[in-house]
Amino acid sequence: MNFSLSEDHTVLRDAAADFLRDQVDLAPLLVPGADAQQAPYDALWAKLCELGWPAMAVPEAHGGLGMSEIDVAIVLRECGRTLAPTPLLGTLAGTWALLAAGSPEQQTLWLPQVAEAGLRMALATAPASGDAGAADADVMATLHADGSYRLSGSSHFVIDAPGAQLLVVAAMLDGAKRLFLVQGEADGIETEWLAWRDITRQVAHVHVKDAVGDLMPGDWDSTWPTLRNRLHLALAAESAGGLQAVLDDTTAYVKERVAFGRPIGAYQSIKHGLADMLAQTECTQTAVLYAAWAQSQDERTATLASAMAQAYASEAYRDATHRSIQMFGAIGFTWEMKNHLYFKRARANAEWLGSAAEQRELIARTLETAHATPH
Amino acid sequence: MDFDLPAEDDPRRLEVRAWLQANPKPGYALLFDQGYTVPHWPRPWGLGANPELQLIIDDELARAGIRAPHHKNPVPINNCGQSLLRHGTPEQQERFLKPALACEEVWCMLFSEPSAGSDVGALRTTARREGDHYVIRGQKMWTSLADKAQIGVLVARTDPSAPKHAGLSQFLVDMKSPGITIRPIADMSGESGEYNEVFFDDVIVPADRLLGKEGDGWKLSMQQLQTERVALSRPGAIWGSGPSARELVDGLVAAGRFKNPLVRDEAVGLWIEGEILRLLALRSLSDRMNARESGPEGAVRKMVAAPHGQRVLDLAKRSQGVAGLVKNRDVLPMTQAERGPFSNWDHAFWWSPAVTLGVGTQEVLKNVVAERVLGLPREKDPTRHTPFNQIGKAQPTQKEAA
Repeated sequence: MNFSLSEDHTVLRDAAADFLRDQVDLAPLLVPGADAQQAPYDALWAKLCELGWPAMAVPEAHGGLGMSEIDVAIVLRECGRTLAPTPLLGTLAGTWALLAAGSPEQQTLWLPQVAEAGLRMALATAPASGDAGAADADVMATLHADGSYRLSGSSHFVIDAPGAQLLVVAAMLDGAKRLFLVQGEADGIETEWLAWRDITRQVAHVHVKDAVGDLMPGDWDSTWPTLRNRLHLALAAESAGGLQAVLDDTTAYVKERVAFGRPIGAYQSIKHGLADMLAQTECTQTAVLYAAWAQSQDERTATLASAMAQAYASEAYRDATHRSIQMFGAIGFTWEMKNHLYFKRARANAEWLGSAAEQRELIARTLETAHATPH
Repeated sequence: MDFDLPAEDDPRRLEVRAWLQANPKPGYALLFDQGYTVPHWPRPWGLGANPELQLIIDDELARAGIRAPHHKNPVPINNCGQSLLRHGTPEQQERFLKPALACEEVWCMLFSEPSAGSDVGALRTTARREGDHYVIRGQKMWTSLADKAQIGVLVARTDPSAPKHAGLSQFLVDMKSPGITIRPIADMSGESGEYNEVFFDDVIVPADRLLGKEGDGWKLSMQQLQTERVALSRPGAIWGSGPSARELVDGLVAAGRFKNPLVRDEAVGLWIEGEILRLLALRSLSDRMNARESGPEGAVRKMVAAPHGQRVLDLAKRSQGVAGLVKNRDVLPMTQAERGPFSNWDHAFWWSPAVTLGVGTQEVLKNVVAERVLGLPREKDPTRHTPFNQIGKAQPTQKEAA
């Protein structure tokens, strides 16, 4: 048993934190009326590529860094702390999908491009309901006489779809949900930007019309749990960083802000709220590290730990960002302050993979299945 | 990083298990001789072992159905005994440690008073030096085990003219001394005489029973309240013992209540929190094993654990519906909990309001976390620097003083 961050982990964390502190500029988003198109995706992505971050999850055999889930979670936490606007999440999601469902040829073709050239990816699996893990899709795939698959329909609420060079698109083929690789520049692809409230992230519906798709061999039922666990971890890691930022900012503010002759941090209601927020931050970070480790174990452990991390993190993050606005007072409600960016990211992270109650239901089913066997 | 606990075939575990098989009913004296009572203490008391071995030994004792020594005699083993190692005289170590660790002498902690609970510095019991002994006068409250203990760790005021925290000292008191009266306090659970009040009526305590130096009482008390063994693998709802959220889920499944969607969602929420508490405990343990300074997780864990335990027991009780109002009617089975003072849901539930009161109220604990970890301005105690015997007396107003 060893639950402490290693020297390598802390070096990675500090390097990521230093880099992002210097490079992430949220100022363009703090102008009233700003939207996600102002989020400096491209500039930051170019710099991340110089650092090799797109190569994180790509195995060494494909020219990547082959970093562990713990390393990835450490980096994502720092991204979440700064709300770094980049297509990293979409690219990681696409990479994980390629690893879980792609053929050796597909992996050999695409993964080196992700690792070496920063190929931008996105994962498009949701029907109009927004349920990324749904058994159905609003895209239909058909096999043409020339042996190619053609896709038509829409995939919804796709994170990092704008600018994605390679999409993993879920489509119905012979009544089953399957995954296809579709090039972002291919004919028949239309990206419909959404006025997504979390403006630190670019999200779109993807409409495909007779677009060429490359069928991935992995079937949906065995691919989705692996993918879902990793996505749960990714969101929870981001939320852990966001919680830390909100805690730090709010703590600093209540030490400065004076009311009735005292810093407001001297009042017990404020102290107790921040003590709760600290507890939520520590609990989230602990759950995230455990979930990252659990992914190197068996599927049941990974499922329980990842769903637990995401369920806890999403509720804690939402709660903390709400409290933070309250503690800042009315200024915390303005567009010029960062509080709303975190508040909105927290909401988005709590919805994108379904509510915390849905993750708890997943845990409930897993525990029921395992009942009568020792923990 | 590795979250696996020492495996079933870990050689250290096999060694402990083999010894327990060879000594099936070891008794506390033999456990102590073997080093299993306080394995994390230095020799000759313990094994100088790392916390992982402590965890293994606790695990194996539980597996063998042996009530761990720290349940039998928690005060010296969990809290106060280490003060003797650090500050006790050789004579005190010789006289007190072995009987305490072998559970031949049970100890109690005489800290709280009617007007000094979470504000321990406000206590009024006095210890007046007279030649080669002290004379104790006053009243203590909420003392667990007072009725069973041979030895009491007493905090009393030796210098009433010093500020509240500076004039305190600690003593090892013979609980059979003339002048001590012990009365049980009936708590709302109605189950047991857990708490007592203890009256000191000019009790004579020899001067060589002073622990550390005169005036060290506050410092020693704070150290003792902060040292604790970690409730490792299954954080029970009552200060680490009693049922846990895992038992709640198992019990609900077994009783057919887990299908109720409202109960189900809440139970899993508690299960998640319980797992995180277990992980926080492991994180503290791991940091100690890696000689890392521990982070805020210790204080955080305490703060989260108490209300968590209350919610676990509350849901267990609510899931029983109206039948839960009948005393000891355990509609929800206890599937895994170890035998112990809280091994029935009914008793544990009616006891649970105490867990956000004992060892410092939740409110004081949150202040401490906010002030010490987050560095928020300290709560003002206007009596902090006032000589204790002047507190409450009319202070001159600023105008008069000028």
